[in-house]
Amino acid sequence: MLSFRRIFLLIAAVTSAVSAKSSTGDSVLVVVEPSRQNDYSIFFNGLKEKGYELTFRAPKEEKPVIIQDDVPSFAHVILFASETKNFAKDITPQSLVELLSLKTNLIIALSTKQTPLSSLAAEFSIVLPPPGTPLVSYFPERSEPPSVIPIAPDSSSSILSKDIHPVWFSGVPMSLGNNPLLFPILRAPAESFAAEVDGGSADALVDSAEKGGEGLWAGSQLSVVTGFQALGGARVTWVGGVELFSDEYAKKEVSKSVESGNKKFASDIATWTFQETLVLRIDRTEHHLVNATSPKEHYTTGDEVEFAAYISKFNPKTGKWDPCACRKDIQLDFTMLDPHVRTALPPVPGAPGKYGTAFRVPDRHGVFKFVIDYKRKGWTHLHSSTTVPVVPPRHDGYPRFLSAAWPYYAGAISTSVAFLLFSALWLAGDVREMKKSKGKSE
Amino acid sequence: MTTAYPLPSNLSPATVANTASLLRIVALALISGAAIASRLFAVINFESIIHEFDPWFNYRATRVLASQGFYEFWNWFDPTAWYPLGRVVGGTVYPGLMATSGVIYNFLHALNLPVDIRNVCVLLAPGFSALTAWATYMFTKEMKDESAGLLAAAFIGIVPGYISRSVAGSYDNEAIAIFLLMFTFYCWIKALKQGSALFGTIAAIFYFYMVAAWGGYVFITNMIPLHALVLILMGRFSSRLYVGYSSWYAIGTLASMQVPFVGFQPVKTSEHMGALAVFGLLQIVAFGQLVRSHVSSAQFQKLLYASVVATGILGTAVFGLLTYKGWIAPWTGRFYSLWDTGYAKKYIPIIASVSEHQPTAWPSFFMDLQFLIFLFPAGVILCFRELRDEHIFVIIYAVMASYFAGVMVRLMLTLTPVVCVASAVALSTLLDTYIDPKEPDTGDDTKSESEATVVSASGTNGSSFSATPTPTPSKKIKKAAAAAAAPLPTSGIISDLVAATGGPTRRGEPIKTKGIFGMDSRLIVIMHTLAMLSFFVFHCTWVTSNAYSSPSVVLASTNQDGSQHIIDDFREAYYWLRQNTPEDAVVMSWWDYGYQIAGMADRPTLVDNNTWNNTHIATVGKAMSSTEENAYPILRKHDVDYVLVIFGGLIGYSGDDINKFLWMVRIAQGVWPDEIQEPNYFTPQGEYRIDDMASQTMKNSLMYKMSYYRFAELFGGNQAMDRVRQQQVPKVGPTLDYLDEAFTSENWIVRIYQVKKEDLLGRDLKSANAFGQGKKRKRTKPVPRRRAIV
Repeated sequence: MLSFRRIFLLIAAVTSAVSAKSSTGDSVLVVVEPSRQNDYSIFFNGLKEKGYELTFRAPKEEKPVIIQDDVPSFAHVILFASETKNFAKDITPQSLVELLSLKTNLIIALSTKQTPLSSLAAEFSIVLPPPGTPLVSYFPERSEPPSVIPIAPDSSSSILSKDIHPVWFSGVPMSLGNNPLLFPILRAPAESFAAEVDGGSADALVDSAEKGGEGLWAGSQLSVVTGFQALGGARVTWVGGVELFSDEYAKKEVSKSVESGNKKFASDIATWTFQETLVLRIDRTEHHLVNATSPKEHYTTGDEVEFAAYISKFNPKTGKWDPCACRKDIQLDFTMLDPHVRTALPPVPGAPGKYGTAFRVPDRHGVFKFVIDYKRKGWTHLHSSTTVPVVPPRHDGYPRFLSAAWPYYAGAISTSVAFLLFSALWLAGDVREMKKSKGKSE
Repeated sequence: MTTAYPLPSNLSPATVANTASLLRIVALALISGAAIASRLFAVINFESIIHEFDPWFNYRATRVLASQGFYEFWNWFDPTAWYPLGRVVGGTVYPGLMATSGVIYNFLHALNLPVDIRNVCVLLAPGFSALTAWATYMFTKEMKDESAGLLAAAFIGIVPGYISRSVAGSYDNEAIAIFLLMFTFYCWIKALKQGSALFGTIAAIFYFYMVAAWGGYVFITNMIPLHALVLILMGRFSSRLYVGYSSWYAIGTLASMQVPFVGFQPVKTSEHMGALAVFGLLQIVAFGQLVRSHVSSAQFQKLLYASVVATGILGTAVFGLLTYKGWIAPWTGRFYSLWDTGYAKKYIPIIASVSEHQPTAWPSFFMDLQFLIFLFPAGVILCFRELRDEHIFVIIYAVMASYFAGVMVRLMLTLTPVVCVASAVALSTLLDTYIDPKEPDTGDDTKSESEATVVSASGTNGSSFSATPTPTPSKKIKKAAAAAAAPLPTSGIISDLVAATGGPTRRGEPIKTKGIFGMDSRLIVIMHTLAMLSFFVFHCTWVTSNAYSSPSVVLASTNQDGSQHIIDDFREAYYWLRQNTPEDAVVMSWWDYGYQIAGMADRPTLVDNNTWNNTHIATVGKAMSSTEENAYPILRKHDVDYVLVIFGGLIGYSGDDINKFLWMVRIAQGVWPDEIQEPNYFTPQGEYRIDDMASQTMKNSLMYKMSYYRFAELFGGNQAMDRVRQQQVPKVGPTLDYLDEAFTSENWIVRIYQVKKEDLLGRDLKSANAFGQGKKRKRTKPVPRRRAIV
């Protein structure tokens, strides 16, 4: 049984090595209403072309389960059932969080309706407007209803391709809490706001402001597509409206003869979420004394120490990990309770993938850690911690014959010499006198 | 001259001397046997195991020493203690004990005796107690005679006050320190008596050994100078004192500075200044003597006056300046608490929290010393009668040690030897008086002293063969006492006898006709003394087996049918840690258990019994007494993986963490007075409660939560009862969000909790937990970034 499984795994590994586009696996579960499955065929076909194995499942279907025996059945899960109120019992907000802890990536689409997913959003410190209030914008002037908005992506985003045309969007905006793991991929336009579409008037802004209390659901602080990287490494993308992925929006023109960027945008999101791009890892770290090669069990205070980390980046084209000298802002901490040394860890020229630095161990003994804690939005979080004790010098490791100590040496030597002289004189002295003095002392 | 009972007169003095010496050796051997045997209760009742807390560290250190050699031990940096500060063990330890065991271990292995290092450690204390008995014998012999020496050796061999620190398995510094203490004192007395630089040097060498073995060496450092000072003040300065003290001080101080932990303390700290000052004073006095022998008396008077004034002013000024400049360290807290018993409680809760630093309760004097405590003053008074230099030493020792023993329970140990010595002197004087067969003269004054000596000598010899039905050991003591008295000159036993019975007399005064008539009074007193001695033996045996032989790692209770029930929760939990956690998992507990966790579970600990860093301990105290939310960042910062608490509420183990909790609060309050306040942990009525009426701060504290987590469930709906506090535990117990229960031992004494990792989604663990349990989160609103348009 075990060997079967092993062979299966081996085959899976081999096939994935051939066609792998993601660094974590190719199996994708798509939870979508069967009736709407074909609405997103461009997006799904794009994924299939890349080599993903898509499994479709209706929200209320029992099989295939997402987690079996505490092992996730799929590497990635796409939840397009944004309006479903009741899922099968294995899909709950709790099980989705568990999926994240098992390093499964998620793409979750929301809608203006109140669903279990909107309560899950709160756990990511994403704040959704009240139900039934989509994002509305009257600019630019267009024939489409105000809730269907073209949004130009931020060209500086590292997740998206450089030249994406504006993207059609229709759905809810999200207000982001102060969770540092959360970051917007696509912001709402500055003129947009969340309001009930029925009114459609400018009064809606006032109404929604009152409904939302002091918080104003408006402006570019809102996000419509949001990325999130869990501490375990799994990635989640929250999309305000599932229509963003639809064939309809992908084909719809933004302006005359300019195709919308939806297809490319959706593909970029999937690429990032499924851990194809911006994926880094620390292969190994090493530390040793300067001019040495093998690591020491412990270092002495004042030692000159060299630390190096080997970092690679996943290459989705080949499916391999390539050494990467692409990051310039990695830092190294040498920490005991507080960082005693915090220094840049620059790439070493001539050695791709190697980041190294040398520093002097502080004059403080204790259990220190070499810590790399690299968190950049979009990029895989890098964390490495190597514990190493720093000890005081050995009993014979201190400097000897200091020039400052000469008064003491002189004192010791002169006393010894004087004692020898005194003893010699005493022994060689007159016997009679010695007897006399002896008699006195008793 | 009449005798109370017939004496054989046909024995040659050589036979008597040889027999007496053989008997002394046999008696000493038996005393050693008794001393060792009575300390083996712990091994027989339980097993060959290291006891309590500190011995576990000593044992661990000894293992390092035995396996890696002395230099590695000297440079040993322990990264698992005081995580993440680490501990420089070589520089913060008195290595004498470990070195002793290491030498014994290597010696036995060189003889191809493959003894386990643990057994060497377990049996070291009993072994050294035999040596202590011998050293006490030598010391007391200098005070009075061999018979008193044997009595003192017998006393110290079995007295509970010493056994409490030296049962098998109690592998602590005191195990060898008392022997070194007594032997150093013996060498000092010997050096003083003979004016011998050799004995002064031996005293210094043993003083060095003592310094290397126990922090209590300061007692010697101050006792010997005090003795010397008193002798000078009494006008008893002699070149013998000068030679003895100078050789001891010079060599002893230089040697003691070689111990890394001591370093330059002998010339820097106030505790050692007395010895230095007396050394200086001795030089001045000796110089004064020299000058006096060369100049006339009148000149000398002026000179003396001027120099005394000048020296006084100069010395005070220098001392003041040095203290002001900080070159001489101010007194340490432990030292202050010797003078003001309330000091520690006010200023240094960490010292006050240790039970052995509490003032001694009166009953414990009787418990530890039994009838010796009554004889002790008598012995001290007898020392006044002769008042030789060495008697002054005993008197000073008695006064100082009595005071210190009253202040700190722990220092009962230093009192015990002098109590044994003084009591032995008193008891042996009593026995000498009543066994001596000489009847007092009733009017015939013509007998010369020499004749009396002969009679007394032969008389005392005879007493050893008198057929009194007494137990063997005391008979032997009697024999030895009598035999020892034999070769002494007249000023020995007869004057003693006369003095003891006839009030204070001076040596060399004519013998007075006082004494004891007949056999009846002799027998009554002797029988009574023997009865006291045998009760003493029973008491010692009982106390040793019942009170002092518990390893405290393993607890014993009695089943209903009277059989013994072993409670082994500590080892169960420590082995669980050892088997089930990664090797670098950091365990946080209150400092009492630090050494045990390091020794038995082999895991890094935050704090341990080497309480060198008050702030670090206060950090643990703060974590224990804060709410979960406040404690969690502390735990994460220190990489804590597991938290261990001791809880006795289920089986009534009173030494648990809830009872120690107020000390944690106090120590934490000392460092963070704004965050932790002791009154918050009491009810408004000022009671320390854990039931429904407990204060909110108490109920929310991490320690309370960890102790009572799921405790009420154990009672299946009935009212849960804490058997230590005798209070009813709330039916709805505390909940934990930041910790997971990992292990609870059989009797719930040890509970181990795992610290949860940070939440995956960056939430706080409390809301993550609420989400996990399916609770709905309150709707949040976007953070206002600007004012709403009105």
